[in-house]
Amino acid sequence: MSTDYSQEKLTLVNELIYQIKVKEAMSKKVIFFKENVTFREIQLKLKEKKISGVPILDKERNIIGIVSIDDVITAFDKGYVDKKITDYMSRDVITIPQNFSVVSAINRLEKFKVGRLPVTESLDSKKIVGIITLSDILNRLLVVVQSIAEKVQDKEVNNTQISHDLIKRVERKPLRFEVKGDDFDSAGRVASITKKYFQNLGISKDIIRRIAIVCYEAEMNICLHSLGGSMIIEVNRNNAVIYAHDKGPGIPDVKLALKPGFTTASEKIRALGFGAGMGLPNIKRYADKLEIKSSLKTGTELKAIINLGVRNEIK
Amino acid sequence: MKLSKIVNECQLEKIVFCTDCEIENGYCGDLMSDVMAHAEAECIWITIQAHKNSIAVALIKDIKSIVFTNNVTVEKEIIEKAEEEKINLLRTDKDSFTVCGEIYCLMEAETAKD
Repeated sequence: MSTDYSQEKLTLVNELIYQIKVKEAMSKKVIFFKENVTFREIQLKLKEKKISGVPILDKERNIIGIVSIDDVITAFDKGYVDKKITDYMSRDVITIPQNFSVVSAINRLEKFKVGRLPVTESLDSKKIVGIITLSDILNRLLVVVQSIAEKVQDKEVNNTQISHDLIKRVERKPLRFEVKGDDFDSAGRVASITKKYFQNLGISKDIIRRIAIVCYEAEMNICLHSLGGSMIIEVNRNNAVIYAHDKGPGIPDVKLALKPGFTTASEKIRALGFGAGMGLPNIKRYADKLEIKSSLKTGTELKAIINLGVRNEIK
Repeated sequence: MKLSKIVNECQLEKIVFCTDCEIENGYCGDLMSDVMAHAEAECIWITIQAHKNSIAVALIKDIKSIVFTNNVTVEKEIIEKAEEEKINLLRTDKDSFTVCGEIYCLMEAETAKD
């Protein structure tokens, strides 16, 4: 077999052509003739069955010769097409035993420039049990590769199963954080830890990204605008639930606060790149569900839910 | 495009240079929420915000390279944090507009070559 293409890419196929036996790939249905026929009879059969050659067998199905389409053409050319094949057919037939690997079949097909190999019962036998061509080998290879691909897929399904088990285990253990007001140094901590936590659960990157953004904005809101508070991140079977509670002073108009660009941030906060009026709109954009309860007496409670399953692209 | 190529071509000062990562896109922004919402992972982020929260945002967004423009002061603790988190910090005295333009042209030229 020629090996001038990339070895690396062919590793699997290379491995498989050594593993697959001729008998697994061959066609068992062999069209054959006895030696008492003419070239014309063979030519009609070749045309009818759309094949390019037939083995010639004796009564015990032992191989004694082979006639290919080339032989038929030569017979036409030389004018013996209506004669019996016995005196003209090639008796030196290249065969392959059924327990050989298909790689040796490929080698023989290439080396002897033939299109098909009659398959013998064993190395010492001349009895024909099948016939093999390159396309038989390719078909078999495709079937094997397909079944390997399916196994890999099953494995992937099992992997997501594992993360579901993990999720079940963490269901009862929510993450809890205290978030101080006006503490810029540790800001972003909740989002970082939460992100790592979800990465360990094997959740998809896109979902983690959205959880991180929601956590970050909720955390920054407590830090920038409140007297301090806490965050709880819970996981249940389908969702990540992010709770952010603060001690006040509360949002007078929640609807207005959800409007992009609306801000009450001080000059100092804005100089640091915060307070652009994008925090709550970002949460709303990336969460699947958002609830905000706010009172000027008790502070603000935010609950954002992110579905851990597949969700259509962001709004 | 390799980060080192951008650093050389745009003459950026290396404050922290830990990995010569592959840069495929960039984002310019000084508002944290804007960067949180729009920057892509692994991008190069051009900003004047050199404080600890920039590192936090980069971490959350998987941004591995930040360019500080207008020659802003970068505090020691930010450098330490970036080293710890393996985030490349670069600096230039040019403004964000100029640097973005330069990096953009470099990337365009690279795409044209492909």
